[in-house]
Amino acid sequence: MPALIEARGLAKTYRLGRVDVPALRGVDVDVQPGEFVAIVGPSGSGKSTLMHLLGCLDTPTAGRYQLDGEDVSALAGKRLAQVRNRKVGFVFQTFNLMPRLTIEENVALPLKYRGGVPRKERKRRAVAGLEHLGLGHRIGHRPEELSGGERQRVAIARALVGEPAILMADEPTGNLDSKAGGEVMRTFEALHAAGHTVILVTHDPLVAERAERIIQIADGQVVA
Amino acid sequence: MADRQGRLSATAELFGDALRQILAHPLRSLLTLSGIVFGAASLVSLTSIAVGMKEMAYRDLESIGFPRSIQFADRGPRSDATRAVDLRHPGLRISDAEAVAAMPGVASVHPRVWGGNLLATGPAGRRNIPVEGIAEGFLTLRNFEVVAGREFRALDIAHAARVAVVGEETARDLFGAVSPIGRAITLDGTRMTVIGVIAPQRFEMAPIDFSWVSRRVYVPWTHLQRYYRPPSRIDGMLVTAVAGGDVGEMLRRADLLVRQRHLGATDYELENEAADVLSDLAMADSILGGWNSVMYAISVVTILVGGIGLFSVLLISVRERVREIGIMKALGADDGHIRSLFLAESLTLAALGAVGGIGAGMGLIVLTTWIGAQFGKVFTIPLHWPGVAFALGFALVVGLLFGWYPARRAARLDPVEAMAG
Repeated sequence: MPALIEARGLAKTYRLGRVDVPALRGVDVDVQPGEFVAIVGPSGSGKSTLMHLLGCLDTPTAGRYQLDGEDVSALAGKRLAQVRNRKVGFVFQTFNLMPRLTIEENVALPLKYRGGVPRKERKRRAVAGLEHLGLGHRIGHRPEELSGGERQRVAIARALVGEPAILMADEPTGNLDSKAGGEVMRTFEALHAAGHTVILVTHDPLVAERAERIIQIADGQVVA
Repeated sequence: MADRQGRLSATAELFGDALRQILAHPLRSLLTLSGIVFGAASLVSLTSIAVGMKEMAYRDLESIGFPRSIQFADRGPRSDATRAVDLRHPGLRISDAEAVAAMPGVASVHPRVWGGNLLATGPAGRRNIPVEGIAEGFLTLRNFEVVAGREFRALDIAHAARVAVVGEETARDLFGAVSPIGRAITLDGTRMTVIGVIAPQRFEMAPIDFSWVSRRVYVPWTHLQRYYRPPSRIDGMLVTAVAGGDVGEMLRRADLLVRQRHLGATDYELENEAADVLSDLAMADSILGGWNSVMYAISVVTILVGGIGLFSVLLISVRERVREIGIMKALGADDGHIRSLFLAESLTLAALGAVGGIGAGMGLIVLTTWIGAQFGKVFTIPLHWPGVAFALGFALVVGLLFGWYPARRAARLDPVEAMAG
């Protein structure tokens, strides 16, 4: 089976004034379909940068990146946004839900940017996704009316609504108490069990342990 | 077809979202729009009022038959005659009036004879009053208001009946508080029965003073002709064209006809009331045009200033929503999505401002009408649609123009940096 993610020598250098700051110094990553991978490392190690590159939020300054059989390292702008929309679903530490939209509107957003999906169909799929994650009773509510754990599950539903190839989560339990965090982690495990490919970025070894495989990053390089 | 429908619904959704965004900050949006509102309101109200006033003035003039009438007036022998023919002075005659009346395109001919100031005596007083001999229908044509009794009929004229229509003020002078209808006055020694009292018509707009009508006595022209003029001579006549007829053409042909009848002598003056009035109107039109250009210019500047307000508020909106923009991009929105989002917001704001301004302008028009009513004037001011269309169109152009940069700025945000705030 071909690898879902195949990154070779991925590097990212930021320019701060006149100084080049390397955040990632040539990283090789392979992820197979259906894997549950955790990327761990201390803050400043470059793990977030790696996730941004793998999630097509940013473009590498060097290296080659093949996502689902497509070379995306040279893509930019509209094409990259399309890849992001179709292949990647993001879950963030701070949930990043739109406060003025209801939760089903939030969940439907990726389909809106995909274009060509009628409003009714978007709503139907958003509601189905929320129900699947046990949030059916919260439909019509706004994010501020939900608990942290529920909000993160809304974010997961939003990440999944476009049926992406990869689910990427950046410290998804970082803003949650242990009970809500545990629930969210169980959700990821369930999704993994259902065949989803999950990449988790965290500095918490207890969270990382739940994954099948751990990629350790330090100083912009893979150390284990 | 389905694609087009999809695009249409996507556009509708875009503007719906923009409206929601705007309504989330009602006060800010309102303040932003004030410039555009003021600009549109002043444009719509002032151009409507100016055009409305002009049309009212025009209707006033039409109401007294001016644009359709020409006047012949006997002038007497020319003192500056250089041709023998000009020394002849046949004068205007009843037969001239009959000949003109027979011309095609002529609706009516009203012979006139001036009586000059005659001593009029009534039960309550006596006055020297200007007396004019007129034909039936003349008072109606001039739209004078018959406040009591009636105006002359064809029989009164045909029989040179000893009847009179007196002005309102004269009626009071001669009769006091008593109704003069059916009572007699003595006019230069002749008993005349008063059959009507008239008042000048009310003008809403035209600067015409017809108050002298109140201090005048009208009698059948045939009466004055019989006792004060040589046989068959009249002092003048008013000729009206049929509705929609060419007044200038009628004037040329009537002039030719009468001159032929006078064997070439120009012993009369011909006044084209229509042309005079029309040239006055043309002048009013050009003043109005200037006024309207000034209004358009002021509104353009005001709306542009409004555009600057729009610009700054959009920049604030972009800054406030940096994180949101980052999230949208992370979810797969491309630059075009973000750009159209803010352009839609800008256009919607501008359109709301224009619509609000047009509404306010209509309010000002109603207010003007109300103020006119307080002064006893009946103003009818229709909406000046070109002004409305311009206000809306220009506001949208401004929305596009001043929304472009903030939209571009939002679209170019880097998703990672934007999400970090």
